[in-house]
Amino acid sequence: MLTGTILYAIINSAILALTAIGFNLTFGISGVANFAYGAFYVMAAYGVWMLIHMAHLPYPLAVLISISLTTLAGALMYRFVIIRIKGQTLSEVIATFGIGLSVLELFRYFGFVGFEYTLPVFVDKSFLIGDAYVDAQRLLIVAFAVVLIIALWLFTHYTHLGLAFRGIAQDERTSLTFGMDPDRIARMAVSFGAGLAAIAATVIVPLGSISPEEGYDVLIKALAVCIIGGLGSSGGVIIASVVIGFAERFTDSYIGSHWTMIVSLAALLLVLVIKPSGIFGKQKELEERI
Amino acid sequence: MKRKQYLFFCWVPVLLCLFLIGPGAALAAEPIVIGVPTSTGFLEGKEALKAVELAVTEINSAGGVTVGSEKRPFKVESIDIRDAAPGVPVPEALLGIEKLILEKKPAALLVGPFRSEALMAGMDIIAKYKVPLLGAIAMTPASEEKVKQDPEKYKYIFRLALNAKYLVKYLAGTMGFINAEYGFTKVYIMNQDVDWARKTAEIISQTYFEKAGWTIVGQESYPTGTADFSSTLMKAKASGAQVILPIFDMPQSGILVKQWNTMKVPCLMAGFISPLAGPGAWKTFDGKIAGAINCIFELGSAIGSPKVPKSMAFQEAYAKQFGSPIEAGHGPGPAYDSVYILADAIGRAGSTDADAIVAELIKTDRQGVLGRVKFDAGHQVIYDMNPEESAVAAIFQWTTEGKRQIVFPTSLAEGKIQLPAGLTSAK
Repeated sequence: MLTGTILYAIINSAILALTAIGFNLTFGISGVANFAYGAFYVMAAYGVWMLIHMAHLPYPLAVLISISLTTLAGALMYRFVIIRIKGQTLSEVIATFGIGLSVLELFRYFGFVGFEYTLPVFVDKSFLIGDAYVDAQRLLIVAFAVVLIIALWLFTHYTHLGLAFRGIAQDERTSLTFGMDPDRIARMAVSFGAGLAAIAATVIVPLGSISPEEGYDVLIKALAVCIIGGLGSSGGVIIASVVIGFAERFTDSYIGSHWTMIVSLAALLLVLVIKPSGIFGKQKELEERI
Repeated sequence: MKRKQYLFFCWVPVLLCLFLIGPGAALAAEPIVIGVPTSTGFLEGKEALKAVELAVTEINSAGGVTVGSEKRPFKVESIDIRDAAPGVPVPEALLGIEKLILEKKPAALLVGPFRSEALMAGMDIIAKYKVPLLGAIAMTPASEEKVKQDPEKYKYIFRLALNAKYLVKYLAGTMGFINAEYGFTKVYIMNQDVDWARKTAEIISQTYFEKAGWTIVGQESYPTGTADFSSTLMKAKASGAQVILPIFDMPQSGILVKQWNTMKVPCLMAGFISPLAGPGAWKTFDGKIAGAINCIFELGSAIGSPKVPKSMAFQEAYAKQFGSPIEAGHGPGPAYDSVYILADAIGRAGSTDADAIVAELIKTDRQGVLGRVKFDAGHQVIYDMNPEESAVAAIFQWTTEGKRQIVFPTSLAEGKIQLPAGLTSAK
């Protein structure tokens, strides 16, 4: 039982990390809280479904096209909407939330409701680890999360573009003096964030199904992880995912499943009270010092 | 050549006129408007609306509804009241119902609200405007009590769908059947953390499990949206549960059955999981649902039985008309029957007057896709175990070949319950 709980807690942590990492990247670099993030997740999943079932494309190709289109949609949202209100936090939140809401409700309006909207698993096998069986898709999610986090770290530390990302995130004005274009970088950050949401969707959705409501759930989860970890902090996202992931599964196993959500929200509340900028966040450090 | 052209221009209009007379005569008459206020953005609402449209097409093709000396067609007007969507306040749903009544002047409302709160609050609006409602989704028995307490005011409210009390009766019946067949007495209850599912779990525990000598080895309530059930499945396995009783209507609940399959939990999964109802579930869940036993709330919704030929004919007609089979296990069957019941009531009343229709609806005794449809004093269709005598629900099991085999009630049963690997009979 304990081995199984630990195993599923690791999987849960990986799912949370994958879900939140795109939102965190966008906010950390561009400062844009992309509230359309959940809609991008759902859009990518529906995109793959449509490409498989309507265009009859092979699964891997459908995944690649859907991730590319979602990444492009993120860039377009920045280019045509966010750029006009950049810097006005409340307007950014309202605009992105409005776009997300419209996308999700459009799917509902066009009849994308039902249980048939799901994606096939990558590998159809299950393994006995300790005393618990676990399916290959869940193990793949863990592997995906680890690889993605390492790849993102390498990208932001060893590529010109990644270093530019970090430069803008650290100090936009100083970066300008080095010839970096903050709008271009911000556009790419929003775009990459949408792409990461799409990647998360394509690996996580095969465990369940696609529905417009999923968009709201994903946004709430991403927000919870990022707020606990500290908005904009990649290390914070990883730590927060592990904290919430383990807390949820252990609560589920040893206290009761209806307390699961309460534990996550209590953790969120506790962090906001003790350290409002999150475990590794720097957003409100100045106010905290004052 | 000219003679041929002459014949063509003379005969074609004549043939066209002949073709249009008959059904056309009914179509020319003023249509009787049927209002469908429901959550059309949700599977049950979407398919219930389609079932209404199918029945209307069939009735209109056959000439329409007899109202006195004339034949009149039905016309469907629908509105998405969104009451099933999270966060939508009840007053907003009620506004949708009122808008439909005032703007479209329907002779009756079909399908109706999803949420019981919306139905309960909507009863006063329906009574105010005196429009009969033949509900197909909301399940609270409280509406029947309201009808019984003030029959003159609330006489317009009818329900063809299964109510919560009957759902408990069928789930308890299934558990009793499993106990009689295999001697199982240890159950783990898993339910969604919403009012109807919590109440269903509570009532079945009190009225059946405790009295019948079962041991409830565990019970878990899951918040809507939960996507990992591994902890409870491990607990069920460790506690020696023989049966898992799931009660869920959220899309993610299909994950529970997939996990039950991949984690090889040696328990019988028998209860209600809405995503498992339709034939498409086999493909949706990669065939990992074999052995799961699921409840279809009304025969005709997502499943038919050769014992009730109309239910089979409905499945075929629906698939032919819309290009895909019914997937919702709650709503389409009663929605389809409600159109025919309304047409019969109007025909007998010889009028579209609400009071006259209600007086005839009460007398309904019809063999439909649900079985035999009769209303009780609370205007709820009576559900029992024999389709010759009452409406019926159906409990089926997914076979390893991806077929759905009805196992309960015995009057409809097509085979015996098969136990999953690792679980043997306790008898």
